[in-house]
Amino acid sequence: MTEPGAIKGRLAFLALFLLVLVTALAAYQLSGEMGIEERFTQAVGLEGGGDAEEGGGWFGFALEGNPLLYGVVLGVLVLGIILTFCYSRI
Amino acid sequence: MAHIHLEDGSFSLLWVAVWWIAAVVLIGIAIYLVRSEKKPDRRKITLAAFCTAAAFAIFQVSLPIFGGVHLNLTPLIGILVGPAAGSLVVLIINILSAAIGHGGWGLIGANTLVNIVEVGIGYAMFRMLRSAIPDLFSRAGIATIIGLFCGNIVMVLIVIVSGVQGVNQSPSQILTGLSLIAALNMGVAVIEAFITGLIVAYIGKVRPDLLSGERP
Repeated sequence: MTEPGAIKGRLAFLALFLLVLVTALAAYQLSGEMGIEERFTQAVGLEGGGDAEEGGGWFGFALEGNPLLYGVVLGVLVLGIILTFCYSRI
Repeated sequence: MAHIHLEDGSFSLLWVAVWWIAAVVLIGIAIYLVRSEKKPDRRKITLAAFCTAAAFAIFQVSLPIFGGVHLNLTPLIGILVGPAAGSLVVLIINILSAAIGHGGWGLIGANTLVNIVEVGIGYAMFRMLRSAIPDLFSRAGIATIIGLFCGNIVMVLIVIVSGVQGVNQSPSQILTGLSLIAALNMGVAVIEAFITGLIVAYIGKVRPDLLSGERP
């Protein structure tokens, strides 16, 4: 990847990447550690602090919403993909 | 990514209706555009199905970054299937998310508007930067960051304009709080930009025909 256009693109992406990352880290330092819903309710001034993110999950990764319904809906979507893929043969 | 993480009842019924109507109008235009194509594009339909499942799957997963955030791949949807089909995809994802308890039903209209902006701007930037940045990875990454930035602005504007029921904060206080969330969301946007860049670059390498308008 030595084309001038490619290098220019990578540099622009890197600059934007770093700018946004530094801004986000500064915002994180200002607001502190909390889940997104808790953060949102506090930002708009709602009491109760929203639904705090539950601990656990897998290495910090957690599902939002009902896990059983998540599995069912995802299964139906995957079935839909298989049918669409068989139909269209892209 | 931008998503209004408030419960049903946060917006007044009037504003819930306003954002729903605005979303329905845009979705109506999207359906018209999709149906006006002379021949249904099977590749696009299949890609839209893939995007729906992938984005739904990833959208529900809270990542252990900045206290818990999630991705939604909306600019990638725009890049792969375009703004018209992409608008339908994000509507479906928002409905399914509310159905499993992630997000309120009344906020589907507002959240769909936010996501349509991300899809549309992501798509537009990816096309507009074609001659300036031929490299797919960088172009997709930049388009993603700009698309998600615009989505965050729309998210903040929707909340400010609607107001939140039962709170005493002034619009400027809400703006300050939401600006911090928008900045944090952009931290996740860089991860999403990196993932989108990798996916688009890979597709461009193995199946460039799936990226309409790109040279093999």
